[in-house]
Amino acid sequence: MTETVGELVAAAIEATDALGLLAEDVEDEWTFVTDLVAAQRARLGAIADRRGEESATDSAAAAVASAADETHLIADPHRAIDWLSTFPDLVAIALGEPVGG
Amino acid sequence: MRFQDAAPDARAIVYAGVQRDPLVARLAELLERATPPQSVLARAVMNGERADPDVWRTMVPACFPDERSEAILAAALEVADHGDQVRNQLRGAIVEAVTERLLRRRAASSGDVRRERRVLFDGVRSEIHPYDVTLETPGAAEAYDCKWGARGISADVLHQLDDARRHADDEEQGLVVGLVVFDTRLACDVRLDGTSAPHEGIRLITIERLGALAEGLAGAPP
Repeated sequence: MTETVGELVAAAIEATDALGLLAEDVEDEWTFVTDLVAAQRARLGAIADRRGEESATDSAAAAVASAADETHLIADPHRAIDWLSTFPDLVAIALGEPVGG
Repeated sequence: MRFQDAAPDARAIVYAGVQRDPLVARLAELLERATPPQSVLARAVMNGERADPDVWRTMVPACFPDERSEAILAAALEVADHGDQVRNQLRGAIVEAVTERLLRRRAASSGDVRRERRVLFDGVRSEIHPYDVTLETPGAAEAYDCKWGARGISADVLHQLDDARRHADDEEQGLVVGLVVFDTRLACDVRLDGTSAPHEGIRLITIERLGALAEGLAGAPP
């Protein structure tokens, strides 16, 4: 069954939250991590607000699933911080959105 | 205001070997003219876990099929194949090398672009850390620190850049100072919003607009 953009974004926000929880283990970066998670959630949420009902392409669905799978492999909190900025852009590119929002 | 080579310490000598790694030059050449999605692909792969190129082709379909994307993917996977310490060193060196290549396209003379340089001012104690890349055009010099990610933007870095800019102003010399960050503007803005260190006069060049280094900095506002 074809997924909607909204469903892909919801999965992406879930993966972003999981990355944030892991990244919070770097205590010195707690504020940066929580602020970055909030900013990325808002950015992804804005895509869902505009295009949530739109049917996603198969390649976009596969791309977001693959990117989310990659985040599940991240075990190092420092690397999770790097992924907090990269993962939402992979999602954006898959959905035909510009890099950086 | 004058520029001076940094005295090489033990760290610099080791790091110079990393900077000379052919993989650094190869990726810098590819990223010099990469699109923003190709740069994000490179960043993701160099941060990533999986080594199967098909995984990454699936993850960033907008980049494939494309010859440059394939070359970026292959080189980035080679970086990711190293342990964390070497991977981190290579990634930092790659951002510096891309910066150097982009600035050379705008430099009047190739000798104007230098690496690991200090900026000295009369009556001011020398800074601890050299700048990663400088464009030493007389009367219109630029000094850059290069970072793999927004997290590398620290209060110390911002103070050093801002101090240099202010000292140059005191001497009525033109000096543009900037940060080249291989990360998104969003992440950098979040980082900067969380600091009280001065950053209003510091140019910020991020992964979306690396080409601004070659084209002039109108597209890279403070």
